[in-house]
Amino acid sequence: MSTAPTLEKNPSGGAEPFVRRTVPRGRRLRRGAAPWLLLAPGLIVLGVLLLWPMLRVLNLSLQDYELRNLLRGDSNYVGLDNYVQVLTDPFLWKTVLPNTVGFAIVCVVLTMIVGTSVALFLNSLGTLWRSISTTAIMVAWAVPALTGTYIFVWLFDPQSGLVISALDGLGIMDAGSYNWFTNRWTFYAIATLNVVYHGFPFIAVTMLAGLMTVPDELYEAAALDGASAWTRFWQVTVPTLRPIIAVCVILSTIWDFKVFVQIFLMPGGDGTTREVMNLGVWSYTQSFAQGEYGMGSTIAVLLTALLLVISVVYIRTLMKEEEL
Amino acid sequence: MIARRHVLAAGAAGSAALALAACGGGSGGSGGEVDGEGKTLTFWLMEGTNASADAYIEELKTAFAEATGATLDVQVQPWDGAHDKFVTAMAGGTGPDVAEVGTTWVPEFADAGGIDDLTEDIEAAGLTEGLVEGLVDAGTLDGQTYGMPWYAGVRAILGNREMLEAAGVAEQPQSWDDLLAMITALKEHDPDWIPFPVAGASIFSAMPFVWGAGGDIAEESGGSWSATIDSPEAVEGLTWYTDLALEHDASTAAATTWVETDSLAAFLQETVPMFITGSWVPATIRADNPELAEKLVAYTIPAKDSAIAPSFLGGSLMCRFTETAEPELAFELIKLVTTGDFATRWAEETNYFPGTTEALDEVVAGGDELTAVFAQQMTEGGTTVPVTPAWGKIEGAKTLSTMIGTILEGTAVQDAAETAAEEMDGFFAG
Repeated sequence: MSTAPTLEKNPSGGAEPFVRRTVPRGRRLRRGAAPWLLLAPGLIVLGVLLLWPMLRVLNLSLQDYELRNLLRGDSNYVGLDNYVQVLTDPFLWKTVLPNTVGFAIVCVVLTMIVGTSVALFLNSLGTLWRSISTTAIMVAWAVPALTGTYIFVWLFDPQSGLVISALDGLGIMDAGSYNWFTNRWTFYAIATLNVVYHGFPFIAVTMLAGLMTVPDELYEAAALDGASAWTRFWQVTVPTLRPIIAVCVILSTIWDFKVFVQIFLMPGGDGTTREVMNLGVWSYTQSFAQGEYGMGSTIAVLLTALLLVISVVYIRTLMKEEEL
Repeated sequence: MIARRHVLAAGAAGSAALALAACGGGSGGSGGEVDGEGKTLTFWLMEGTNASADAYIEELKTAFAEATGATLDVQVQPWDGAHDKFVTAMAGGTGPDVAEVGTTWVPEFADAGGIDDLTEDIEAAGLTEGLVEGLVDAGTLDGQTYGMPWYAGVRAILGNREMLEAAGVAEQPQSWDDLLAMITALKEHDPDWIPFPVAGASIFSAMPFVWGAGGDIAEESGGSWSATIDSPEAVEGLTWYTDLALEHDASTAAATTWVETDSLAAFLQETVPMFITGSWVPATIRADNPELAEKLVAYTIPAKDSAIAPSFLGGSLMCRFTETAEPELAFELIKLVTTGDFATRWAEETNYFPGTTEALDEVVAGGDELTAVFAQQMTEGGTTVPVTPAWGKIEGAKTLSTMIGTILEGTAVQDAAETAAEEMDGFFAG
């Protein structure tokens, strides 16, 4: 790209060494520096807020680092011991990882399905109703995860929540007879409802923005060829929106993998009920609740690495090379 | 607003007298004044313990200035994230001179080197005798005391007299059998009641039964700790307590994940006739539901064969940060807060018990029946958790609440206790 202007100025091409001399070294440097200068504030902020803490975490993950080390400022390198300990822990393979991965897959799929369906419905509405409906679903998105989680916990309170009261009233289940929060499956079913409810508006609004850019001619042409609505969706809408879908899927995956508040604030989710622990909560209880900062960092690094791998695979499969 | 103004006015009137009294107490105890003229001392006080903290702080400042000439800077800290804030402050050297520290954090901070050994200062001030034992124990690591007892709370049984009388069981239980008889009678009287919730996430509701059977969480020998939660006595206590929920229908499945505030919420709705809760709770009920407060009755938690089982004594100690430039002045403040009129006043305003026996007697003498029961639970049954830096990790890993939760979900008591013991031993080994 940077050579393009030089070529334009020298259509002959053969006189390139000569031309190079006409642009003084200083000016070339300055010209090259301009984008970096413009990027500098952003890069510095990212470097300080993101890169430095990441390097610190990486550094901590190689140490047996506890409160004592923090206070005395001394380091205690143990090589890859933490990694070996985490990766050989059956708790990781039997509980934490299945919980994290399984939950993320279910949530991403459900969020995408619900979000896309809502976007399709919104797209078929008139402007007024679309604005009203969009505003309404955005409220769900605007509710902080903390508040949303408490609402779901209240709804499903095993003693006096709305759900059990309704079931009790219908004579299906007695109030207080079963605690949903102590069973891995019911616990995560409630968490899934919460996360999908909280996550679908973003997908819906983003997909709606994409849908509105798909030219009507494409649908008309497809309809003329006799394509059904289902075929039109898969053959016209999906291919056109692929970059947007990719972004939505990647973002949802990242969000649903590192979900913490929604699990931690549920009864028993703070580590008391071990079988519902996920990577985020495990990392937190290790670092902050138990003061094993080294071990907590190791788990955090592994979570980051896992997300990086998933993101790369996604980008590779969902986007064609020219879209990258 | 009226109440607030009233308190402020009363405070201003009493200020001079308090300051004089504090002055006298200070010089009498230590035998020497510390001159703090022109110096400033920072004090971290935890938020929310005292509803009228503003007036208290103003008077404390005045009294401290009169006693030492130094300026006192009181910074109120919220409990949320307090542990992290202390740790960061210690690491960065940005901490206060003096701070209120929760009892279970003291061994951890002391071991890490963040707070000072106060043994000699307490001895020199002649305060060694007459401190509430459980609080001293909580702040004592390897024979050295790292915090001066300030205030404490303890858990006992709080009941709704009307509901208990309706079932004809409004009497102090003298043993586990008595307690079970009460629970059975309550359940028979009204099957919709939750006679005695077994809150799974509240370990200090369960531990009195472990202690009451002669068991313990862990024991120290030769400077190293080992878990004893899987001993026959401890398992007997755990079995008896969890059977209340599993066999005797005293609780509800919902309570498996309950913390104490959940039990309290059910108690406020009058579906729970009695539950285990802290000595600071009656004041909360008095503020939220004065009608119910009239019906309150308290019992000590029974042991297997006696009326009083040991119960966890939690509270706060006054600690001096290692980084302080004014250790003597800092200790003057610790004395001012933890002894004399300021200690009594704090206890009365917060409904906690003071950390010195003298002030404790005074509070009990002036208190109601509920206070007397909780005080008895504290003086005769106040105990503490293992005083070791590893306790912080055990608490953080929620080892004991996990154990209780899994038992309530059907795991055999012995198995759950062995799992917990193994995990604790891992923490003790470091």
